[in-house]
Amino acid sequence: MKELVSNSTANISQARKAVEQLKMEAYMDRMKVSKAAADLLAYCDAHIAEDPLIIPVPASENPFREKKLFCTIL
Amino acid sequence: TLGQFVMKTRRILKGHGNKVLCMDGCKDKRRIVSSSQDGKVIVWDSFTTNKAHAVTMSCTWVMACAYAPSGCAIAFGGLDNKCSVDTNLQAWISTRLARAPSNLACSFTNSDMQILTASGGGTCVLWDVESGQLLQSFRGHGADVLCLDLAPSEMGNMFVSGGCDKKAMVWDMRSGQCIQSFETHYSDINVRYYPSGDAFASGSDDAMCHLYDLCADREVAIYSKESIIFAASSVDFSLSGCLLFAGYNDYTINVWNVLTGFRVSILFGHENRVSTLRVSPDGTAFCSGSWDHTLQIW
Repeated sequence: MKELVSNSTANISQARKAVEQLKMEAYMDRMKVSKAAADLLAYCDAHIAEDPLIIPVPASENPFREKKLFCTIL
Repeated sequence: TLGQFVMKTRRILKGHGNKVLCMDGCKDKRRIVSSSQDGKVIVWDSFTTNKAHAVTMSCTWVMACAYAPSGCAIAFGGLDNKCSVDTNLQAWISTRLARAPSNLACSFTNSDMQILTASGGGTCVLWDVESGQLLQSFRGHGADVLCLDLAPSEMGNMFVSGGCDKKAMVWDMRSGQCIQSFETHYSDINVRYYPSGDAFASGSDDAMCHLYDLCADREVAIYSKESIIFAASSVDFSLSGCLLFAGYNDYTINVWNVLTGFRVSILFGHENRVSTLRVSPDGTAFCSGSWDHTLQIW
């Protein structure tokens, strides 16, 4: 009987913590998705030119370009 | 608009004797640290594919590794319940950090002096590297925490964690408080911040990737296809945030257009599961690690 009581007290305290957490999260200031999505779009547009994987850098500046062999073995 | 994509393997890093489990890039945009089930942690020069440094662990499951911001130290850990920091890459000196039950992920914060670990116990911990002391613990996950990622420095002291309880949680590093949590996946998840810090992506064992916006406090995009049925093990954004690279257990890497939700490209090259994936700090390439023992640079 005592174990049952202590189990339910533990569950109650866990549930209380969850309620506190949810209350805190509920008071958070939320932005509308239309505005948030517009922000993401704006960020992408602003930075797309600097992205070397989208706008490839010239081979001379790319450290991973294929290594060209300048000598042949005769 | 995005043009045609020609992405191919530029370098193959061979040397691990078993599955590659984790990798991280150095801020010098050149060196990479990787850890493997062969018990080794190797530092590579990604331009030349030479190995710069190697450490052998007594435990074979080295599941986590990270590069320090200064480039002078690496951290690694795994099922040995420790996170070790190797602070002098020249002299192979290693400082055992602290007891972290099955260390599944780790990351330095903005300094070499603090490290965040995610563990099998469901908690994340912030440690002081020098003293080995616990600075803050983050409790809230109901199961193992698989992955964590620090917010870009402009966002202040926050990080996101993903766990086997299908939840992604955003934490305040100073208070230990969970600020936001998200649960829309059907299985275990891994996470990565969007470059602006206003959003983060998650990859999951349910074969889908999601994008969550932190200001709107909700999921805003899903990246999935009926033909993709294997777990997405690791995700990362390109420099601008326009592309999302995701490595899967079906050996492929899918490249998603973040804004439209469509797949841009599918990359083949690995001969086993892709277990880890990171875009280099300057965005010129990304590196994928796999159970096929290799790391490939694209």
